[in-house]
Amino acid sequence: MADMPTDFWGGWIAVITVVSLAALCWFVFSIYFAANGQDEGEAQVWDETLGEGSNPAPMWWFWLILSLMVFSVIYLILYPGLGSYSGVLKWSQGGRLDESFASYREQFGEVRQSIAKATLESLQEDPAIMASARRVFDRKCGICHGSDARGQASRFPDLMDEAWQWGGDVAQIEKTIRSGRQAVMVGWQAVLGDDGVKQLARYVRELGQGGQTKDDDPGKTSYQQFCVACHGVTGEGNIMLGAPSLVDDVWLYGDSAEDIEQTIALGRNGFMPAFNDRLDDTQVRMLLAWLTRIQ
Amino acid sequence: MSGIGLHKKLEENTGLLIFGILFVSSIGGLAQVMPSLFQESLRTATENTTVYSPLEQMGRDIYMREGCSLCHSQQIRPLLAEVERYGPYSRAGEFVYDRPFLWGSKRTGPDLHRVGGKYSDEWHRLHLINPRDVVPKSIMPAYPWLAEREANANGDIGRRLAALQKLGHPYDAEDIATADAALEGKTELDAVVAYLQKLGTAYGPGDKP
Repeated sequence: MADMPTDFWGGWIAVITVVSLAALCWFVFSIYFAANGQDEGEAQVWDETLGEGSNPAPMWWFWLILSLMVFSVIYLILYPGLGSYSGVLKWSQGGRLDESFASYREQFGEVRQSIAKATLESLQEDPAIMASARRVFDRKCGICHGSDARGQASRFPDLMDEAWQWGGDVAQIEKTIRSGRQAVMVGWQAVLGDDGVKQLARYVRELGQGGQTKDDDPGKTSYQQFCVACHGVTGEGNIMLGAPSLVDDVWLYGDSAEDIEQTIALGRNGFMPAFNDRLDDTQVRMLLAWLTRIQ
Repeated sequence: MSGIGLHKKLEENTGLLIFGILFVSSIGGLAQVMPSLFQESLRTATENTTVYSPLEQMGRDIYMREGCSLCHSQQIRPLLAEVERYGPYSRAGEFVYDRPFLWGSKRTGPDLHRVGGKYSDEWHRLHLINPRDVVPKSIMPAYPWLAEREANANGDIGRRLAALQKLGHPYDAEDIATADAALEGKTELDAVVAYLQKLGTAYGPGDKP
């Protein structure tokens, strides 16, 4: 209630609360302890014997109400409740959150700091840290890459194989995690036409299988004209551009003729979101250790 | 007058009793609800909160139609575990263009308030068409028809925005006039994904999601 619009509404709440509490007190006390024998008037009687009784309410009820009143007063003194008065304890939801974060940091801050600075080898030797890293991966990465990190849905790369679209160095992986990646392969349908796409797809598959192709292969001509800039002359790819190798027999989007034709015709735009804000340094370090461990 | 006397008077006078009941039962509302109606911080958009684009707004309407809020809440409470898992806790000012708000109260699935930007569009498409493709243990129903239906099949997105404009959302005449064009060729799936990617992206600078 710290951000009341005006003092007026703060006062409004305080006055209503205090007045209704006082009125309730007065009412209960005067019912139990009113001087009897006030003008009771003639007791009404119907049907000769049906009279209006006036039994007092039981006393345990009074004690119950009294203790609730006392509780209310103590509560309103300690906690924010009376308009903009913030209470003796200065309690607030945000404050409670800050407190729990502070105690979290106090408890784990040091060890987390040391993990963030540790060498990957030393982290990899500690099974407990590797188990934690596995859980971080499961929660933050596994939903796309699969909880075993083997990739899934023909969209999200396998992280346990040798192929790294954007580079498998620790520094490159860290950049991928922190800043995300956006791959851009345009579609070639309009340029190549249906036949051209088919010929190029066939050539690309043969390239991967190490087959010899004739120099006058129209697929090869198209490849050298349109594809070499990113995927390289021999199809080795380019990690600077996120252009995957075409000769390592890793086919993210599927290795059938139809899959490759679709990739060539419509293009692919693999996207990994940036996790810099969603992971802290400790978590990034743990993930790096886990991803680059020797299996 | 004693409490007994007051009690007797009310009991013997029906009109007064009705008035008394209404008065007493309104006290809670007067103290708790009424001031919040005048509390600017609840009605002012936070710095980064903007109205939904036509596509996002349509996605939001589809989200409501499909009942997503029955299993997914959109409110992160100020508790350590929630902030660690989902991101900065929700603030009232982030919901001023949500009409009605979709906070929900049931978490069969995870909270979605900060889901925007967390996954790629492609992931959302695969996941909505068949959740098991990307989350093997998911119990979420599949929504394959979203990919087959036009987002603006009724051609009424302009009218939807106009209604919101009447209620005070800052759309201008141009937004409404170009709304149909903005949804041209988009499926319901595109609309829902656009809405999901917008969700909860209005956290303040320095707040990590």
